[in-house]
Amino acid sequence: MKEKLAGIVGGLTADYADLRYEENRKTRISYQGERLVEIASYAASGGHVRAYANGGKAIASFSDPARAGAMAESAAASASLAGGRRDKPLRLAEAPVISDTFQISSPRDVRNVPLREKLDLVAHYNEMILREPTVATAEANYDEFVSHRVFVNSEGSVIEYDIVVANILGFIVTKKGEILQRVRFAYGGNEDFGRLQGREAELEKGIDTAKRLLDAEPAKAGLFPVILDPSEASLFIHEAFGHLSEADGLQNNPAFRAKLQLGNVLGRPILNVVDDPTLPALPGSYAIDDEGVRGTRTDLIREGALVGRMHSRETAAEFGEPLSGNMRAVDAHHTPVVRMSNILIQAGPDAFDDMVASIEDGYYLVGAKGGQTTGDQFTFGAQWGFRIEGGRLGPMVRDINMSGELFSTLQAISMIADELEFSERGGCGKAGQMNRQSGKGAPHVKIDRVTIGGV
Amino acid sequence: MHEIIGQAKKTVDQAELYWNRNHKISVRYENGRLQQIAENDLSSVAVRVIDGGRMGSTFAVSPDQPGLIEQAKAAAAHGDPATFSFAPAADYPSVDGYDASTGHLTSDELVALAESTVAAIREKRGDLSLLVDAEMEHRELVIETTEGAEGRFEASDVVLSFGAPIKGAGMGIYKWLGSVAPLSRPDALIDEFVEWYGWTETTSTPSTGRLPVIFAPEASFLYLLPLWAGVEGNAVEKKTSPLVDRVGDRILSERLTIVDDPTAPAKLSSRPFDDEGVPCQRRAFVENGVLNGYLLDQRTASALGRASTGNAVKRELFVDGTETKPSPWPIRITVDAGETPYQKMIEGLDEGLLVYYGLGFHSGNYPQGKFSVQATGFHIVDGEVVGRLENTMISADVYEDFRHVRAVSAERGPALAFLDVTAPYVLVDSIQVAGA
Repeated sequence: MKEKLAGIVGGLTADYADLRYEENRKTRISYQGERLVEIASYAASGGHVRAYANGGKAIASFSDPARAGAMAESAAASASLAGGRRDKPLRLAEAPVISDTFQISSPRDVRNVPLREKLDLVAHYNEMILREPTVATAEANYDEFVSHRVFVNSEGSVIEYDIVVANILGFIVTKKGEILQRVRFAYGGNEDFGRLQGREAELEKGIDTAKRLLDAEPAKAGLFPVILDPSEASLFIHEAFGHLSEADGLQNNPAFRAKLQLGNVLGRPILNVVDDPTLPALPGSYAIDDEGVRGTRTDLIREGALVGRMHSRETAAEFGEPLSGNMRAVDAHHTPVVRMSNILIQAGPDAFDDMVASIEDGYYLVGAKGGQTTGDQFTFGAQWGFRIEGGRLGPMVRDINMSGELFSTLQAISMIADELEFSERGGCGKAGQMNRQSGKGAPHVKIDRVTIGGV
Repeated sequence: MHEIIGQAKKTVDQAELYWNRNHKISVRYENGRLQQIAENDLSSVAVRVIDGGRMGSTFAVSPDQPGLIEQAKAAAAHGDPATFSFAPAADYPSVDGYDASTGHLTSDELVALAESTVAAIREKRGDLSLLVDAEMEHRELVIETTEGAEGRFEASDVVLSFGAPIKGAGMGIYKWLGSVAPLSRPDALIDEFVEWYGWTETTSTPSTGRLPVIFAPEASFLYLLPLWAGVEGNAVEKKTSPLVDRVGDRILSERLTIVDDPTAPAKLSSRPFDDEGVPCQRRAFVENGVLNGYLLDQRTASALGRASTGNAVKRELFVDGTETKPSPWPIRITVDAGETPYQKMIEGLDEGLLVYYGLGFHSGNYPQGKFSVQATGFHIVDGEVVGRLENTMISADVYEDFRHVRAVSAERGPALAFLDVTAPYVLVDSIQVAGA
């Protein structure tokens, strides 16, 4: 197969071409309430080709391996057509030619665990949730993705690598009268089945939170100082800042390029932000990206100043900055795009208690609940929160959202706690691709002023 | 396909085969320059079986892949008890979704459409970082069951979208349109885009409190998605929907009629049958504000003791495709137009908002009919747009606030590209607004 694929890209009339062929296996188990609505394990293979010719670019995806040659030729011709319409040719930064194999090994690799054992574990967690009388319904899902990839390019790289990710995730829904509350749980994030087992104590805590939320008051809308827990803080840095450090989004956006020049001061000296795929065993850990470039640690913000960003070969050439190995595609039907590996805010100098004590009237937001950004505007939900009154944690609150503008919010980060925690499960949507392999971490973070919206 | 169903009859009690092939070409302009041409040629297959009273499924890229029925049968050993049969033979409505001239559009023709759009906007606004996408899609869908359903449908469409980020802000102004027949450059839509873009050049902060809000067609998802979460069969079955036992009640303003109309000929997203092979049908599920019924697939219909409404769709809020389980979802929504010209709505407001997008919708409690979003749109004072909104949150309870609709516009437009909705401008009396 490798020789055949290398022959295809080598024979194209193009300045550069690469082809990624994948044999993927997915396993899904899904409970909704008491019902096992899905149990399926299946193969889904396919390929993706990228061609640069005449200064233009084209891509193609296909399911049928017999179509690889024809789709590659079509992409090369389209790239040449595209190049003819551009006044500025696209270029690629030079990258080392790599011929290597990158394998994953773990003592309890999910690939070696029988389907029955996976089903029993999800069923066990689901039953735990449904035993609680205030629970109206629940969802418990097992999601496993195993991908064997072969990457070849016209420069001579031939790379084989595996991606293995398993998660158990779902939510607990409690109900009392008209009030319905939902708390998420997520375990896993890599190939180790052991990380999915023995999570009963955390699940019990989640069930208890969902129950207590029924008696919580909704948050008040307005401007407040807040403390974000590590889950919410890591979502904030991922969504609001991280996406703007992905160079493909900036490449053709002059206004944001100007705002995000390296050296610009974005925050106070306590703020340090890093993207690092080389950290072990996190959701966004990998050796090689889907463009055949090794994953490397990139400092993004150092002592408050912007010092780096994440790149493809195309954007690295465009910006004249170093390669970072951040090009990822969720599967063969998609082209790689620049995306975070494991993004994190480094630990700071402050104690959590001091952070609470510094707030007269504000909120403590707990548990990321998804968010959305457009450019520098962001909105995130928290699963629950607490009032902070007179420097002390007060009653629990529900239905809490925060929103704001990135640059002023980064400047408003005034305290960072001294313990860094990582979220276990990845999950990031971009360019129509929901990436499981996206890690994020942060300590508790205090922001002096954000808009809180009650739901 | 026939052979697989024929074989399945010997191995399992019932089987359903879903096969989808998709050919797509798209061109993308970024900052006014051709950034990329993309082509997809993808096929996918889903097989469901009922065996020993239980349901099992599997997926593949081709129906030729050996052992599909056996894999689904193996999954059925652990599966959920089957509470319904796969679709029987049916007469499907005639829906002409294919136009050979769009089905064979080439990358050169799409480049020409996108380039002409870039040129037309540049003539009026040469200073924008334009993003333009032009895309053609040709789809074939086949569904067959051992119970006799045999559906085949071919569709094609072309979609053009364009816009630009607002200078000095994260948001952008974007417009799109799609068609089964070939598209020519949409000059009226380009004019509207240029007018809206002009409104963004200044910012304006609205009063905090309750204000009248005009929801543009693009923002219709803010009230439609909560409504769908309330009328879809799973939530009704689990009794988590606020609309349980509310059929016949007035749940929205009598000015609002919301129709699922998948069988309209030659429209984007029109189709003769759903993703379970059940015939699609036109239904006003909210008529003059009154709830007429729910959206059901075969499973939820069986659980509720009713018939499927032909609304099984392989999609969820953020994912779709062959591997997604069919679940109840509207197929092609139209919100009926009213009589008020949209311009008159703006002129009639002392102070209000025109909202065309809301950020952070999915992190709110929308299944209960509530949304709280950062509003993207414009501030209206004394009947005129005075600037764009910044740091403005709007919060609403659809089943409370949308009972009080002051006017519905005569004009209609498409909602966000990921929903198949045509909606008017809807002016709601009073919505909670909070700002910086």
